[in-house]
Amino acid sequence: MLIFIGPDYGDLGLSPEEIQQRMGKWFAWSEKMNAAGITHKGEALLAPVRRITGTERTITDIASSEVKELVGGYYIVAAKDLAAATEIADDFPDYDLGGSVEIREVMVFDN
Amino acid sequence: MREQQLIDHLFRHQHGKMVSILTRIFGLSNLETIEDAVQDTFIQAMVAWRNKMPENPEAWLTKAAKNRTIDLFRKLSAEQKRIPKIESGPAAIALNDLFLDNEIADSQLRMIFTACHPILNPKDQLSFALKTVSGFSSKEIASALLLKEETVKKRLMRARKAIAAKDIAFQIPQGPDLPERLNRVLEVLYLIFNEGFHSNKKELLIRKDLCGEALRLCKMLLKNTFTRQPKTYALFALMCFHSARLDSKISAENELIDLKNQDRSKWYFPLIKLGDSAMVKATETNEFSSYHYEAAIASEHLTAKDFAATDWDKILEWYKRLHELQPSPFNFLNQAIVQLQRKDYTAVLALLKQIDPKDLEQRAYLYYGTYAEFHLAKKHKKQALEYMEAALKLVKNESERQFLLKKKGQI
Repeated sequence: MLIFIGPDYGDLGLSPEEIQQRMGKWFAWSEKMNAAGITHKGEALLAPVRRITGTERTITDIASSEVKELVGGYYIVAAKDLAAATEIADDFPDYDLGGSVEIREVMVFDN
Repeated sequence: MREQQLIDHLFRHQHGKMVSILTRIFGLSNLETIEDAVQDTFIQAMVAWRNKMPENPEAWLTKAAKNRTIDLFRKLSAEQKRIPKIESGPAAIALNDLFLDNEIADSQLRMIFTACHPILNPKDQLSFALKTVSGFSSKEIASALLLKEETVKKRLMRARKAIAAKDIAFQIPQGPDLPERLNRVLEVLYLIFNEGFHSNKKELLIRKDLCGEALRLCKMLLKNTFTRQPKTYALFALMCFHSARLDSKISAENELIDLKNQDRSKWYFPLIKLGDSAMVKATETNEFSSYHYEAAIASEHLTAKDFAATDWDKILEWYKRLHELQPSPFNFLNQAIVQLQRKDYTAVLALLKQIDPKDLEQRAYLYYGTYAEFHLAKKHKKQALEYMEAALKLVKNESERQFLLKKKGQI
């Protein structure tokens, strides 16, 4: 699983032109994976965060502007090992916006 | 792969459309909220389309804009902001109709006229138009107009305040107000265009963006019966003629190439054709604007199959007529340059003597450069060098300095 972490797009003040270009980069990445036969699927997450903590189930609503690092979405990709996944993550489009990718292996139970 | 390609500038143009429609619904007093809301829609689209683009992106965005409208109604009434009552009855345009193509165009024209409203500071008009009509960000405006981003933000703020304070109507002016208001709109488009065409400090991409924007907005004016006037056609023709040469003006090394040395095969002929047909429409009148003459001059240059074949007599005639309409020291300078080509050196000197280089401001180097050319033509090498030195002292722009240095080397 590739987990995308970084600032919320809405807080970056991107222009329509930049948004369109950014989208083009995501398309390109997705297409590159398709071309290489790498299956990938995932979701994008909306910015507002509701956090529930403790036995008291304390609810905190967090606006995106309060956090620098926000999980913005994820892809589950088919990769044979960590190195292969790292290579896939090389094309993640948002490094220049301060974004990062965390790679986690999904545990497979064999029974 | 192709199917995932979006039309160039789709978001930028769509931004302009959406802001205009929503402003027509909610009024200029809510402009900032509207701009934020439209921005949100694009962010949403970017994320939602990450894996799969909708089949009709424009329709998706329009639908999103409609949904935004409803959201905004809720938001603004919750904040107890002033929102217009949506009229009902046969006279009112239904909300849905505002999203039809002709109504969108109408809303955009209203926005153009608002941006060029005489109560706004002329300096603010350009920034404001690029922001609200063309969907540029402050950062993009700053790099397009060679300003600091802070300055742009101040200008936008000042424009918004002026609009709010004077409570100006979001309308296309009618009747006796129209001619003067239209003149200002044309002027602003002309300025936007020139920012793209003449500044060599900018990247070619930014320059093309500005020229393209000015052309697009001018075309919008041509689609409306009130603003479709001979001078609008003339301005459009002028922009087409100049744009056709934009690529050949700059070498791969970003060096300036003068008309004499441009590769004429690089000119973009479809634009020249478009300009020609606009010129036919523009001349269906006896009343010529400065754009008519400028377009005529540009066209004359494009008609010549090479530099030597340029019809300098005709160009001189157009400059003289332009001068009657709009006297300027630059016109004298241009006439002097034309006379230099016609080898009428007495006329060159007489014209140059009428110019006070101070009036040319940061372009005074052109005056000294022309003097240098004059002396060169007369084989006064020493004076030619002196004047070229004077020109070099004044030139600020790097590519123009290189250009002058090259010329100096040839003396």
